[in-house]
Amino acid sequence: MIYIGAEEIISPLGKSAEENFSAILANRSGISLADHAGFNGDSVYISKILDLSEENKFENLITTVLNQVIIKIDNKIVSSERTVVLLSSTKGDLDNNINDQFGKTIATLTTQFNLANQPIVVSNACISGVLAINTAGNFIESGLYDHVIVIGCDLISNFVLFGFQSLFAISNQPCTPFDASRNGITMGEGCGALVISNSKMIFKEQPLKLLSGTSANDANHISGPSRTGEGLYRSVKRTMEMNDLLPADIDFISAHGTGTIYNDEMESIAFDRSNLTPIPLNSFKGYFGHTLGAAGVIETAISMQMLRNQMLIKSPGFETTGTSKELNIVKENKPANLRTILKTASGFGGGNASLLIQKI
Amino acid sequence: MSFITAYCHITSDSCLVNGEEIVTRDSLSNDSWLKQIYKSQEFVYPKFYKMDSLAQAGFLASELIKRAQPNLSAYQDDEIAMLFGNQYSSAESDIRFKKSYEEHGAPSPALFVYTLPNIVLGEIAILNKWFGENLFVVLPKFAPDFFVSYAKILMSKGSEAVLCGWLGIGEERSDVFLFLVEKQGNAGMEFNAGNLHKLAGFELV
Amino acid sequence: MDNLREDLKKQIIEQLNLEDIQVSDIADDTLLFNDQGLGLDSIDALEMIVLLEKYHGIQVTNPDEGKEAFVSINSMADYITKRKG
Repeated sequence: MIYIGAEEIISPLGKSAEENFSAILANRSGISLADHAGFNGDSVYISKILDLSEENKFENLITTVLNQVIIKIDNKIVSSERTVVLLSSTKGDLDNNINDQFGKTIATLTTQFNLANQPIVVSNACISGVLAINTAGNFIESGLYDHVIVIGCDLISNFVLFGFQSLFAISNQPCTPFDASRNGITMGEGCGALVISNSKMIFKEQPLKLLSGTSANDANHISGPSRTGEGLYRSVKRTMEMNDLLPADIDFISAHGTGTIYNDEMESIAFDRSNLTPIPLNSFKGYFGHTLGAAGVIETAISMQMLRNQMLIKSPGFETTGTSKELNIVKENKPANLRTILKTASGFGGGNASLLIQKI
Repeated sequence: MSFITAYCHITSDSCLVNGEEIVTRDSLSNDSWLKQIYKSQEFVYPKFYKMDSLAQAGFLASELIKRAQPNLSAYQDDEIAMLFGNQYSSAESDIRFKKSYEEHGAPSPALFVYTLPNIVLGEIAILNKWFGENLFVVLPKFAPDFFVSYAKILMSKGSEAVLCGWLGIGEERSDVFLFLVEKQGNAGMEFNAGNLHKLAGFELV
Repeated sequence: MDNLREDLKKQIIEQLNLEDIQVSDIADDTLLFNDQGLGLDSIDALEMIVLLEKYHGIQVTNPDEGKEAFVSINSMADYITKRKG
């Protein structure tokens, strides 16, 4: 069995996974209006960590979250020869060093935490987080490592904000994934981490089970999703078949749900093709914004909190179906019997990835 | 067992397939080095001109590998995985995109879409209609151990072949090395770290 | 008016990085987004919006507006003239 636990989240909603979950239960969102943040001096909705200094933010978030994770596991694990760290991020520490966005952070991590093995950066656009967790599961299943610490982190920068503005992809309201009125993404920043291991004993709190999944390319367009949801459909199909699960076995889907017309529509088509439309589903991006390389880790971590607390979490901003295939979007937080959660992600470069987590 | 059945190098002035040089850089040409390879090898794919250098290098090397290993087309459309990496992510394209809004008046969407290192995988997938596994990693240097371990893991989980690549592309230099790993060998070299290290030819220390 | 069409062709070649295309390759009524025409794609359409701002001071706030305006050089010239009032 492959265990997953010790999840942590640092975001505008809080400095721990538990704090973030409480904030979500209290219907809070990390999204706020930032004056003059846009390229033309326009005000833009973003989800920014406001109470942390901008100086060295990327590195600080990562070292902080790793310190928090270490408290939740056997403290010999982090520097063990049988452990590797994966960092999931799209732009790293771009504002401090555009020429080498990961070098310094990785070097700092290695020295500060006495890491025995070279950390690996997974940089695969918005599917990086889910992909990193799958890679971790694969490493452990193969026996290459016994423990993998996965950290996901990305910041909001002018670089990325202006870029998405040039694609007309930024929403003029806090994003409303899957809703009929949706018109784009809300950028978010944050840092998430979790530990994957072949040993239950390393965790101080009961871990969950990871059923690692797969990725599949759309083979369609570098920045637009496939109209038939081909890549996401194939990834979900393979992930479920590999783990011997049927649609009826899934209790909840944490979808990618960015809030763009095309992405959310594509997901509805892929889930429909997979016979998953009756399954309760949400997007967490109405709480965290789109945290890019951190998204897969943060959203898996918060899904783990759902399993621990046996609570279904609503999809904020959703009111009316806005996709051609109707999904069972969760509209209010409520207690539920949850055992198995499917997490999906889609991203630029045609990537799609999925994984499953389960209460033991 | 698995085998390296084809490989391609693009260095700063030479393009080699399976160790044999097929194009030498013309330092007097107005065309970029990658464009020279494109024209010399008579590729016809107009999208090439829109790509950034990571994507162009990936396109060229993968196409040359396909020519060297034509039975690639016999695989199912999801059986070929892609496992790529480099040291500096998409830094070169990032710098160009940053210039577009800092110096040239407006952020360029055509440049922005290349500010992610995995886009090259998308370009190759689109061209070939490959729906398989993808992974792009950033490492301080080419790591044969990682590529051997993870390519083998992918082949144990449903992939039948893995197209691996190191795209060390910068303003002044090119250390591009793509190699194809398959479960069947024929004339291929055994896929292990020692062979990979030798084949890569990079300074690894 | 001829100058505008001529300029537009040069600007499109420049802004969209159209390799090996000359001004003479683009007719006034060439279908820009048609595969039999110039074969431009959705990202090119967004670059056209940047082009309108950069060279003609026209702001397009809704990318869908572009779909009709960008059909051909003629339609672009008409759009620019209309927007400049």
